[in-house]
Amino acid sequence: MRLSTKCSWVTGGAVAALILAMFAGVSYPAFSTGAQEEEEAAVPDEARPGAYLDEVIVTEEPSESAAITRLEAGEIDLYADGLTDSELYDQVIAAGLDYEESFGSYAEITFNPYGPVFDGTGALNPFSVPRIREAMNYLVDREFIAQEIYGGLAVPRYLPVTSAFPDYARLADVARSLELEYAHDPVLAEQIITEEMENLGAEMVNGVWHYDGEPVELLFVIRTEDERQEIGDYISAELEDIGFEVDRLYRTAAEASALWMASAPSEGNFHLYTGGWITTVISRDQAGNFDFFYTPRGLGQPLWQAYEPSDAFDDIADRLARREFSTLEERKDMFGEALELAMEDSVRMWLVDQQSFTPMQPEFQVAADLGGGVSGAFLWPFTFRREGEVGGSANIAMPSILTEPWNPLDGSNWIFDMMLIRATGDQGTLPDPFTGLAWPQRIERAEVTVEEGLPVERTHDWVSLESSPRIDVPDDAWISWDAEAQEFVTVGEEHPDGLTARRRSVVYYPDDFYENVHWHDGSPISLGDIVLGFILSFDRAQEESPIFDQAQVPAYESFVQNFRGMRIANEDPLVIEWYSDTFFLDAEANVTTLFPYYAQGPGAWHTLGTGIRAEAAEDLAFSSDKADRLEVEWTNMIAGPSLEILEQHLDAAAGENYIPYEPTLSQFIDSQEASERWENLQVWYDEYEHFWVGIGPYLLQEAFPVEGTVHLRRNAAYADPADKWERFEEPQIADVDVLGPPRVNAGDAAEFEISITFQGAPYAGEDLDSVSYLVFDSTGALAYVGDAEEVTDGTWMARMTADQTAAIEPGSTRVEVIASPLIVSIPTFESVEFVISE
Amino acid sequence: MGGYVDEIRLGQIQEGVAMAMSMNPDFQEMESDERRRFAEQMVELQVTRLGLDQPFLIRSFRYLGNALTLDLGRSEYLISDSGSRRVRNIILERLGPTLLLFATAELGLFLIAVVISLFLSRRYGSRLDRFFVAMAPTSAAPSWFYGLFLILIFAAVFRVLPFGGMVAAPPPENPFLYVLSLLRHLILPASAIVLSALFLAVYSWRTFFLIYSNEDYVELARAKGLPSGLIERRYVLRPTLPTIVTSFALTVITVWTGAIVLEQVFNWPGLGTLFVSAVNQFDTPVIIGSTIVYAYLLGVTVFVLDFLYALIDPRIKVGLGEGS
Repeated sequence: MRLSTKCSWVTGGAVAALILAMFAGVSYPAFSTGAQEEEEAAVPDEARPGAYLDEVIVTEEPSESAAITRLEAGEIDLYADGLTDSELYDQVIAAGLDYEESFGSYAEITFNPYGPVFDGTGALNPFSVPRIREAMNYLVDREFIAQEIYGGLAVPRYLPVTSAFPDYARLADVARSLELEYAHDPVLAEQIITEEMENLGAEMVNGVWHYDGEPVELLFVIRTEDERQEIGDYISAELEDIGFEVDRLYRTAAEASALWMASAPSEGNFHLYTGGWITTVISRDQAGNFDFFYTPRGLGQPLWQAYEPSDAFDDIADRLARREFSTLEERKDMFGEALELAMEDSVRMWLVDQQSFTPMQPEFQVAADLGGGVSGAFLWPFTFRREGEVGGSANIAMPSILTEPWNPLDGSNWIFDMMLIRATGDQGTLPDPFTGLAWPQRIERAEVTVEEGLPVERTHDWVSLESSPRIDVPDDAWISWDAEAQEFVTVGEEHPDGLTARRRSVVYYPDDFYENVHWHDGSPISLGDIVLGFILSFDRAQEESPIFDQAQVPAYESFVQNFRGMRIANEDPLVIEWYSDTFFLDAEANVTTLFPYYAQGPGAWHTLGTGIRAEAAEDLAFSSDKADRLEVEWTNMIAGPSLEILEQHLDAAAGENYIPYEPTLSQFIDSQEASERWENLQVWYDEYEHFWVGIGPYLLQEAFPVEGTVHLRRNAAYADPADKWERFEEPQIADVDVLGPPRVNAGDAAEFEISITFQGAPYAGEDLDSVSYLVFDSTGALAYVGDAEEVTDGTWMARMTADQTAAIEPGSTRVEVIASPLIVSIPTFESVEFVISE
Repeated sequence: MGGYVDEIRLGQIQEGVAMAMSMNPDFQEMESDERRRFAEQMVELQVTRLGLDQPFLIRSFRYLGNALTLDLGRSEYLISDSGSRRVRNIILERLGPTLLLFATAELGLFLIAVVISLFLSRRYGSRLDRFFVAMAPTSAAPSWFYGLFLILIFAAVFRVLPFGGMVAAPPPENPFLYVLSLLRHLILPASAIVLSALFLAVYSWRTFFLIYSNEDYVELARAKGLPSGLIERRYVLRPTLPTIVTSFALTVITVWTGAIVLEQVFNWPGLGTLFVSAVNQFDTPVIIGSTIVYAYLLGVTVFVLDFLYALIDPRIKVGLGEGS
């Protein structure tokens, strides 16, 4: 199973992201070694452009334990994998190494809901009963799993939202109350399961459940590669304790998938499965999880088709997925209700959110994404350095390297390859590693207009947000592509009666965009680079195209379904309008930037043009799928047999002064630019012997596929200073302390002082989204929810009135404070207990 | 259609698509119908690409035909390091490092073992001889087992040799320095191979030498007063060599099978690592290709041994035989 993250063509566009990737940018006259070094000498410290480090050497190390040993020996500086082994964690701590945390992986139990009796085996399936599935939540001690099985590298998870992602913070009160409701209670679990088993006609004989005279045997598919094996054993033991026989089917990923994923649930090949999922970037909207994980609409696989959510749950899951709500308050209410219904349904029982750690030398700093760790972070190349130092080199090891060919359109999608590819590219906006919100990188600002009534909110001031009762798409906007004529089709031509959209984004690029942004071969960026990206989002999926690729059709169909037009409103300074029917809750996510960064990396029109020629001649193919169909090599721009073919096409292109898609692109690329580009690329290829011409803070100096080594060198001609993203080197997770009276008389007012800090300094009020508190009475029931009031920076007050304390059941009472920062998506919880006396 | 393995592969494809859907918020933001349709199309594309929509028998005959004609075809998942999907390229790229490692180690093993065996045959019953006899059972441990200890001692503790890999990172541009770096990286894995087979080889070969040392013609040579070096070379080593070479060939075969794990321990980019990846991913063309290559390697070894016999044993002659 390969893990990967798709970079998006259009940073705001969901579907478009699947097709290409795109553009937004600024840089310097790039490349050249001698001149570059002189420039480096002249520019001291943080003011120097590009990355902090001069070079990064990356090697392969498949073994996690060997990687830690190599870190201890000082042979490598960072191991770019999110590790979860608690023994290795102890080793890292003992050795005085540092690490970055991430929270994107989670474990669960997938139940087979078919039944009550399997058609294939005639066996009873207790988990066909929602109440038994729900009772399993009481049976399992998640704290035990987190502490004992994961060695503390996990936190209990009850709900289909990740505790480190924004939705959890938004719904903290509902979540906490549900977590308490479903806390470990094996007695209650056994009571409910007994009741329901008897309803199914089963009977307990000598401590074992029997059905039709036979013991009830549960087929438990247990994954063996990680902690899920121990989870499987633990849950099996719990089930055996309450009278089930459990057949533990220990399986690897491939063997297990045939049972739980590919076979029909009615065949009865499994009752339970130890599932695991990964999110490689922070997801700011997890409302679609209900639809995806609990309803037949999630996926077409047989297991999903066996899901039968209640009408209420099905309806609310569907509405949340379609974003059928008009305010965020309404969404929160719906989300809260869906969480409750999800627990009642429980076709999945969530267990833990794993905490992965990326080990590194203590003198190094790097920004890690809270979802994807260092390997998934977009900011790693900008922030990786020796603390307080500028320059030098670093050695990174990763589990796999150069796993598949690199090409920007459909090359390697492996997470570790993408980590390196991102260092060579740039984007219109970059995601905040701690909140997932977009920040402008190569663009200057943006305006977003959404249809009235859509629940969109703005957080940052680089984007403005407006709503409008009607958004008309201009007639001269491009909406489609004629692959035969190689020309765009305008909205006016395709929709003579006019066309409207639900969202418009207008992106403003800096005035000096064309002067500042240069490719690594020295070519300045041009509008041709941007327009080519837009052409490719259509052309490869159209049969008339010389580079038609069947594999592009599904993503293309999804894209055009919601795309409503693109218009270059101004060429210099560049202003681009984008019209679409999709929208996102954050205004920042609704900004569609265009920049030549495709799904799998950066691509200039001339490097891509070389590949386009090769594919049109059926010598190479960008996608693996098409390469297999044509039985040619999969385009690899960094090594292998592709290079010779690309070189031939480069020579031919240079000879002809070739401009791809000439009927359209010649409007944006003149012959002089074409000639300069081909010359630059020839010089580049002569020097570097590969075609990976990037635009980011590092350039690919050399790749050694057999030796498993990549050498990245700082791009001294990069547009931005090294310290541009410095503020993201560490997530500001709040520290919270709560002080209050130990005893309160019912009917007396009470005050609790809340201190919120980060590394000892007060947490600024403007950086906090909310500070709320929950009051749980002596029975553990949620008695009251309130918002704390800010007194000064870092000091807040939770105040309970006399009436409120009077209304609470006397006894031991707990106040739980939830501080939800704006600048990091992880909320902090802290509680204090006191006694309410009569 | 293709039995349980096909079900596993289909499951893998479906799980891969499902994981991709869960990992990427972009997919989550698609409308349900659209996402499901997209996922189904993705699965279908993969099924077609891998030929899972064709009957298993047809696929099997195609694999067999390709293998027999040495047309190894294209892999289903694996890619050569330089990015090619042709099985030939994938295997050839890995064959060099494997041959380099094992040829070096086996040559070293042969020479060291012969020298020590001869030496010990002269000192039968000495402390050193008893040491080698006592250590012979340790050859039951595979080479990678020794590799782990060697890494621990020389890479982790003394930090004088690299943990693994084939060459320094980044590889030196100067060819001379490149070779030096390569040799430095060869020391530990080659030593692990030598150590894993050395004691048993010495134990058995020194026994062969002892047997031949007691032959009448050797006694006669000694009685004639011939120098001991000459006796060893001409009267002991030469008649023993065919037996030793045969024994060595059997060792080589055992060592090849241990290559898979050893290469992984040392992160050596060879055929062993490739074979494991191919098996894990059910990449049939690469599995078949690797097996064929192993078969050829063994075949070639035996073939070369036939010629060696002719060189070292005057009773054996290479030729077309009478009547030709």
